[in-house]
Amino acid sequence: MYPDDLPLSEALRNTHQKTLAKIVSPGPHWSGSERRAMAESARAAEHCGLCKTRKTALSPLGVEGHHDGATTLAPTLLDAIHRIRTDPGRLTKRWFEAVAAEIGEGPYVEMLSVVNSLVIVDTLHRCLGQSPPALPDPVAGGPTGEPAGDVVEAGAWVPIARAPRDMADTGLPVVPNIVRAMGLVPKAVELFFGTFRPHYALKDVKLSLSQAQAEYVASRVSAMNECFY
Amino acid sequence: MLLRASGQKENRDYDLTAVTHGERRSGVEQEDWLKRLTEEAIRGEWTALARTLDAASHAIGRETAVDCLVVASAFNGITRVADATGIPLDENTEAATKQMRAAVGLDAFAYAAKSARFD
Repeated sequence: MYPDDLPLSEALRNTHQKTLAKIVSPGPHWSGSERRAMAESARAAEHCGLCKTRKTALSPLGVEGHHDGATTLAPTLLDAIHRIRTDPGRLTKRWFEAVAAEIGEGPYVEMLSVVNSLVIVDTLHRCLGQSPPALPDPVAGGPTGEPAGDVVEAGAWVPIARAPRDMADTGLPVVPNIVRAMGLVPKAVELFFGTFRPHYALKDVKLSLSQAQAEYVASRVSAMNECFY
Repeated sequence: MLLRASGQKENRDYDLTAVTHGERRSGVEQEDWLKRLTEEAIRGEWTALARTLDAASHAIGRETAVDCLVVASAFNGITRVADATGIPLDENTEAATKQMRAAVGLDAFAYAAKSARFD
């Protein structure tokens, strides 16, 4: 996947390989074929004319049209994937409610995990001068129907994982809200944070950067993506 | 913003406004290279980034330059999870960072502010 001469950990290399295999496997709400189609659409979004036009508009909701790229996905789902991939800083609660009313909260959360795990893999490939890796063929079978996680309403757009409120020495709760965000679909949490973990830690980060340097990079990305959290 | 916590732990006073105001400096070590690598990565300026990565590898070391991109890639994904779920700040963080968020300009990214601007 990555050339041997790149200074990347074995854990990260193995994780990215596993992430691709998990993306094309059935999840609780979507089949492997549907998840693979989501990943393909997320990649197509980078070159989508409608997304480029929307990105420069004062409000993305004021621009109608069709997204580029052939797909079997329903229009609402396709639009959500393109917006999350290309213009995440301007998503709103009203937009989310319209999407969730049509596809459901659980399927939405599962889609988020697929699309954003792939964002991590593809971004690092591009950063290191590599083409995004080919997606494996989908694993056969329909949605697995695994039950929803144990969740609570906590002020997010979706119910989030129930978690203890104990504090860690990082100044954050032992389970920060961002880790709870996709708790409605435990497999979504597993896929996304399994991908994320070899990249960063809240303390004693195992990289050649200091913790402050890692936090600076993280904060700058958050600001560029206009992320509140 | 955990840069604030890192500064407190190291007894350093990083200028957090540098995060939202690209022309300012936070005081983090090797900031110029980290900033350039991060910004080109998130803007998808791949040709420029290839040159910057090469130059940064000589200046600050290949591992440090690559690890900067390792972190940037992860946060390019996790910020989308936050933005697409409307996840609120953790309770203590919200209380402890109220003034800082206003000063740094992070309140402009709050979900209610975005709804007012884009809905």
